[in-house]
Amino acid sequence: MVAAVPAFFAGCATDAHYVQTGDKEQVVSLGQINIQDYANAANAAVKELLESGALDKVANPPALLEISRIINNTSQQVDTDLLTKKISIALLQSGKAQTKITDSKATGYQQESQFMNDQKTTRMPDFTLSGKIIETVDRAGSTRRTTYSFQLSLNDPKQGVQVWEGEKEIGKQGTRSSVGF
Amino acid sequence: MKTPKLILLVLAGSALALTGCTTVNSVENAQKEGQRNMIADQRAITDASLNRKVSIVGVNTAMTPGGLLKVQVELENRTRSRQAFLYHFEWFDANGMQVNNILSANIPEQIEGKESKFIYCIAPNQNCRDFRVKFIEAD
Repeated sequence: MVAAVPAFFAGCATDAHYVQTGDKEQVVSLGQINIQDYANAANAAVKELLESGALDKVANPPALLEISRIINNTSQQVDTDLLTKKISIALLQSGKAQTKITDSKATGYQQESQFMNDQKTTRMPDFTLSGKIIETVDRAGSTRRTTYSFQLSLNDPKQGVQVWEGEKEIGKQGTRSSVGF
Repeated sequence: MKTPKLILLVLAGSALALTGCTTVNSVENAQKEGQRNMIADQRAITDASLNRKVSIVGVNTAMTPGGLLKVQVELENRTRSRQAFLYHFEWFDANGMQVNNILSANIPEQIEGKESKFIYCIAPNQNCRDFRVKFIEAD
């Protein structure tokens, strides 16, 4: 009986342990974008983008892509790299696109190399990727529904047109945040 | 006096049970224009409970304009209530080696009672030849 009491309480506590992103134990926050939400949004965007074949329509493949601005229209502070980095890595792994360097040191070396080789032009990106994250909150009594819309556009700066657009909505509903899907 | 109470209890119970069930009606064109390239699949069922609820109807493949393998899996909810599950795709090259994929996380999905639904994925690169889809029942 005495031994059973601590065992009972030990069963209620959750010891710290490593978890995989997107596993069954994921924390689902009502008023916050969770890490698995970025993964799902990036997954949907890459799937649609690769399926569209938009990146294949360049003269010199792989396409050169520059990640542009992702506007955060949510109530929270968001590091948009959580979304864009996943997309740029997936596109690089696909062999369909390369991203333009953003590192200041690398840019400096590139400019130095262009100067030494008397190169007057820099390759313009074939596409830029821009987007917006929008939050919508609906309430009914104590129930709250938060929807995050991840909108992305692939822009062709040479033609001045958007060659692909995608949107992924992630909705969560409940009265409080919880663990589990 | 006991009988009306019992009837009320049964009615309340039935109402509760019915609210959990939402099934889907559907309509589609009988004369199909498109032809699905169905492939023979090999299944490993370790969660019989999930398989009883959400079953795999078939798998078909196609190529994207950019030469990437596209895999579509048709699922059917055999129950009358909504089911939630996670799935993820794994990809393999011509040597059977798993291809590294940044977007290999579990994707949450829901399927309504008696609904038929498709999930799909695009191979992460052109070297991918084979695939495996894993399904995990949500708690």
